Amino acid sequence: MSRQLSVRSARALIAIGALTSAVALSSCGAPGSSSAPASSAVTPTAVSTQVPTEPVTLTLYDGQGLKNLDDALIAAFTAKYPTITVDPTYDPDNVTTQNQPRQLAAQTPPDLVRVISVSSGVKNNLLSPLDAYEKAYGWDKLPASQLSQFRAENGVAGSGSLYAKPTGFTMTGLYYDKANATRIGMTEPPASVEELTTLMGKAKAAGLVPMVVHNKEGGGVFPFQLLLNSMLGPDKVAAWVFNAPGATINTPEAVKAAQQVADWNKVGYFPEGVNGLDANGADALFASGKAVFFPWGNWDAANIDKTLPGKSGFIPMPPATAGGQLGAMSDAATAFGIPAKAENKDAAALFLNFLSSDEARQIAVDNGFMPSGTDDQAAPSIPAGSVKNDVVSAFAQVSAAGGQTPFVQNATAGIGNQAWNPETQLLLGGKSTPEQYVQNVQAKYERELGR
Amino acid sequence: MTSLDGTTAPAPAGAAALGRRLSRRRAGVGGTAARRRTAWAGWLFALPALIMYAVFELYPVLSAIQYSFYDWDGIGVATPAGLANYARVFTEPQLVASILHSFILIAFFSLLPVTLGLVVASITREIRSQFAGGVARTLMFLPQIIPGAASAIAWTWMYSPDGAVNQLLSAIGLDAFRKTWLGDFTWALPAVGIIGTWLATGLCTLLLLAGIGKIDATIYEAAQIDGANRIQQFFAITLPGLRSEIGVCITITVIAALASFDVVFMSTQGGPGYSTTVPGVQVYQLAFTENRVGQSSALAVVLSALVLAIILPLQRLFRER
Repeated sequence: MSRQLSVRSARALIAIGALTSAVALSSCGAPGSSSAPASSAVTPTAVSTQVPTEPVTLTLYDGQGLKNLDDALIAAFTAKYPTITVDPTYDPDNVTTQNQPRQLAAQTPPDLVRVISVSSGVKNNLLSPLDAYEKAYGWDKLPASQLSQFRAENGVAGSGSLYAKPTGFTMTGLYYDKANATRIGMTEPPASVEELTTLMGKAKAAGLVPMVVHNKEGGGVFPFQLLLNSMLGPDKVAAWVFNAPGATINTPEAVKAAQQVADWNKVGYFPEGVNGLDANGADALFASGKAVFFPWGNWDAANIDKTLPGKSGFIPMPPATAGGQLGAMSDAATAFGIPAKAENKDAAALFLNFLSSDEARQIAVDNGFMPSGTDDQAAPSIPAGSVKNDVVSAFAQVSAAGGQTPFVQNATAGIGNQAWNPETQLLLGGKSTPEQYVQNVQAKYERELGR
Repeated sequence: MTSLDGTTAPAPAGAAALGRRLSRRRAGVGGTAARRRTAWAGWLFALPALIMYAVFELYPVLSAIQYSFYDWDGIGVATPAGLANYARVFTEPQLVASILHSFILIAFFSLLPVTLGLVVASITREIRSQFAGGVARTLMFLPQIIPGAASAIAWTWMYSPDGAVNQLLSAIGLDAFRKTWLGDFTWALPAVGIIGTWLATGLCTLLLLAGIGKIDATIYEAAQIDGANRIQQFFAITLPGLRSEIGVCITITVIAALASFDVVFMSTQGGPGYSTTVPGVQVYQLAFTENRVGQSSALAVVLSALVLAIILPLQRLFRER
């Protein structure tokens, strides 16, 4: 290279600089100033519950993991209403959080979109309020706890106008290996965290892995929140996830829950290398018959039915003290909302209504989810010997106790990846204290919410 | 169009001019005006590429610079943020740490591969058999054709508690060194770095081999006759002869280290804790997971500036004299 070349590249730089300022000047406005619709334009007022007589095609957007459930629901729905066809699109599950706002903001959005964060959908008036449909179809008869997660008012989720309706619910708790449970003398579910700890001590002494926690992708948050639900109480946990003003988890109860998880890990109740173990590895470990408890959720039930057929059970996490508050993370499999700019709102609402029908409830249960609906509806049937029976009865127990909570990882868009996962790894790695754990997560929470 | 040097007349317009210019060119004589017109014709030929460059390179870069001065969730109306996003890049401990990690990765993505590449290339040079040489080159280059994301997944399995790495350690009696490599706060970053080393060594070896091929074989012969051993030959002939190739290797791999994304994203996502976070992954997560487009853009701009600030002096250093 020569001097000449560097002179030439200097000239090129100047040229690029000039071009830069030209383009910059021409695109001066604040980004995004032309995209958000006004709120008055999105509220459907004249709603119809009529089944369309002309052919209608609904478009639907969801995560790949729910394809089986959605496809079955769509098949049953379109068989019932032949004038409607549904055209689904599925994205990999881990990108649906990122793509949801983009799907909602599209010029021609799908008619039915998976709603992960109600508050972010409401923020830019991208979702239609469903109150008129709720009244027309009588969804207000559903148990309040089933829909409160999908309501929002003034940007805060939890109450107010309805924005989405679920296909079914998830459920979390403790899977257990029946043979090993018998071996350590567990005849009935532990009544308190203390009893659970005693049982795990016996498991450790018997050379078993007491609790299959996997924390490479943040599975360590599960035992923590299962404890937190009972110690802090479902209402406070929900308020935190829904970004209620002033909500905090920097509390003595949360520190106690974190301390318990750290203590269990310290005495070796979790697998060795817990921070390097992922969900697949945890599945394999539980299936190997060398473990007792596995804090995880309903989505794994079909798999566990295959790997440990008839040999596993499921119980809710025991309350902090005997007779105390039961709790479990349980949110929608998918909650579908109708984008503000959707074309076929009435037909989309008909699909939402179908989601709590007897047929849809059976489909939800067949696919391993808890059904949405009222208590007087027919109970869906489950094959005997499936661990799903235990999961459904645990769900009923927790629902009756008012213990359904949303997942703490869903409190803000980035809190799972940017706080819960790394901070739980630090906690289980012995690199931070329970106090620092809740402080750091709370700090991140406030920073992301701009508080 | 008038000529500035005053020696040539302004070229007449039209087809005649074109014909004249062509004939003049053939004759090897070029007037300034004609030359200038040729220059414009050159720009015309470059136009499609320039448009692509402007739309897909310049415009996104400029948009990113613009976004970096706003608070924006990617959808709603942005609010001006001044320099706050840049201030946070240098004050948020996780963002600062991610930049430090990418500097540590330079050792694994750049220094190690170039050193290994030099050793392997000088040895391969000596392979007389054409077949064996070809096989060696192919094997060395193989990692380069596997996508980084795919190899990161394969390495994740090898690093797992019962994976190949730990099995190997047990097999040679080093049970004490077994660990969950990607879950270990001390070892995760070097373990990720080794994946980068594995990926980059092949490319460096191949580039350096090509460079060695250009060095006149008689120089080696002369040195041999003068009694220089292999090591002396390496330092006296190979190393100086490969100056520009080493420069290319260092440039490419340093950029790969500073802007690394796929390997880290697929193997650790920045964990355990924050021990393997790198700016590339942070840019992605800020923009697409957290919807903080402005903050993400500011980090991306800082990252680009950082890469330039390191690469430009390196370019100067390795310039052939």
